[in-house]
Amino acid sequence: MKAAAFDYVKPKALPEALSLLAEAGEDARLIAGGQTLLATLNMRLSEPSVLIDITDIAELKGITLLGDHLRIGALVTHTEIEDSQLIAQHAPLLKAAAPHIAHRAIRNLGTWGGSLAYGDPAAEWPACSLTLGAIMIIHGPSGERRISAQDFFIDLYTTSLEPDEILVATEIPIASSNQVFYFHELARRHGDYAVAGLAAVAKKQGDVLTDCAFTFFSIGATPVMAIQAQKIVNGQAVNPDLITKAVSAARSEIEAIADITNSAEAKQHLIGVLLERGLKHLVS
Amino acid sequence: MELNGEQLIAASIPDVWKGLNDVDVLARSIPGCEEISRISPEEVHAKVMFKIGPVRARFSGKLLLSDIIPDQSCSMAFEGSGGAAGFAKGKSRVELKPAEGGTLVSYTTEASIGGKLGQIGGRLISASAKKIADDFFQKFAKELGGEAIALESDKSDQ
Amino acid sequence: MSIKKKISLTVNGQAVTAEVEPRTHLVDFLREELHLKGPHLGCEQGACGAFTVKVNGQIIRGCLYLAIQANGSQVDTVEGLTKNGTLTDLQESFMRHNAMQCGFCSSGMLLAAAELIEQRPKATREEVREWISGNYCRCTGYHSIVDAIVDVLVARASGQKIKPVIAHA
Repeated sequence: MKAAAFDYVKPKALPEALSLLAEAGEDARLIAGGQTLLATLNMRLSEPSVLIDITDIAELKGITLLGDHLRIGALVTHTEIEDSQLIAQHAPLLKAAAPHIAHRAIRNLGTWGGSLAYGDPAAEWPACSLTLGAIMIIHGPSGERRISAQDFFIDLYTTSLEPDEILVATEIPIASSNQVFYFHELARRHGDYAVAGLAAVAKKQGDVLTDCAFTFFSIGATPVMAIQAQKIVNGQAVNPDLITKAVSAARSEIEAIADITNSAEAKQHLIGVLLERGLKHLVS
Repeated sequence: MELNGEQLIAASIPDVWKGLNDVDVLARSIPGCEEISRISPEEVHAKVMFKIGPVRARFSGKLLLSDIIPDQSCSMAFEGSGGAAGFAKGKSRVELKPAEGGTLVSYTTEASIGGKLGQIGGRLISASAKKIADDFFQKFAKELGGEAIALESDKSDQ
Repeated sequence: MSIKKKISLTVNGQAVTAEVEPRTHLVDFLREELHLKGPHLGCEQGACGAFTVKVNGQIIRGCLYLAIQANGSQVDTVEGLTKNGTLTDLQESFMRHNAMQCGFCSSGMLLAAAELIEQRPKATREEVREWISGNYCRCTGYHSIVDAIVDVLVARASGQKIKPVIAHA
């Protein structure tokens, strides 16, 4: 199907983009990679009067190492993350996750910022940003503000972004030398929306894990961390008994919601499956 | 699709009943409500812009009330058209009971969504409907000067 | 409202200028205005891959990209990539393996395969299958397509050419 007619503008700088957005209000949509937006417009599930193309805006581009942080611009594509040396070295979780996002042609255009701004429960980047303790950098009419990933994802498809704001970049602490990670997504076919997924990092010393971060996605309305399970695993030797305790904790602390693929019970079960596989992998 | 829930609203039953039947209160409570008008004691027409994820679909709909027992319960049949986006229809039953702290509103809903929204937006349609219902009750409770407390608590709120 | 905007781009090596409605997809522009029928209209949702074309050296979904976004860009379709020989060994291999029946998916398959060969020259059979999972084929059952791509990877790795099925004049 073809989209309804709309106008198109391509601001060269952030202040221009923000004022265009403020002017057009709810009638405008921002377009970066457009991989979600254009599919939506093709189906006429949205009929904006104008698209504001932000792909020329310099502040939104690039992956930069800033001391002990990695700054990832909102416009960085999934393929750029997949192929980046800086990411491979300092945020290997993201490199592991990238190939799970849809298919290559979509990864070549889809963006880091777009995925975070939509906050789809099945998306990979929101879960990874939560696990890595990312800080979101947002610009709006009143200037810049920073917010943790924890506070950014509020509810189903609802982030802290106001209609007149633009997500500019995120900052992620770089991986420590003893960081281990695990990323896995269960889906019926490669590239499908995840049925359930886990993005996990920890610091490893022998078979003891500390600073654990276990984020499940496509389970709840937002990515959700298994806080109790993390507490149980932190500082303990990982053995079958610990895994059982952690799995039990994760399954009781997280309330899964059903979607068109699986019931809540099935998802609850898969939380445990993923955590068990994850813990075994993290200490191996 | 089924949607059932309970909300505790810190307001008296007569106030809650009055609010649910007041189109001005509804206009301010229904998320995305653009227009609303009462055609008769049993019929309400509304235009609502639904925003879920990337979707922005404007629905024109009507609500038909029946089995009305004032200050207690009523049934509703609703249908709406979202133009190219699709259509929705269903029925709902709302009951008000006295509870400690105010009024317990319990609702059961059966709805079917068809067209593009049903196919493409269908993946998370139940979760989306639940969110819209929750948002409605939050705003509705504020209109009545009280608070809405959902009774199925979200354990993942850490 | 039918506002038209001016765009200038390079298509298959040739400079093109045109006026397009902002909502026109890149591939609708290529097919309807430039009569390049190589990319095919499938689902228009970005799922099937029949619309795959190359923009600035990367494969993209032609239905999830606007002509106006291609302003100032370099676009390549199966027609251009055939003419400049980029797809020759893949095309010969496809013919050898009978990897094309109705042909609807083929232009997309070839473009996806070409990027794989370029970016992942050491891809395993499993990786080839994953890579092309974004392109749907209703005829072949995929095996012949995977076989054809694997043959090209192997040939390239050993510096060989795929033998032409038909001798060219």
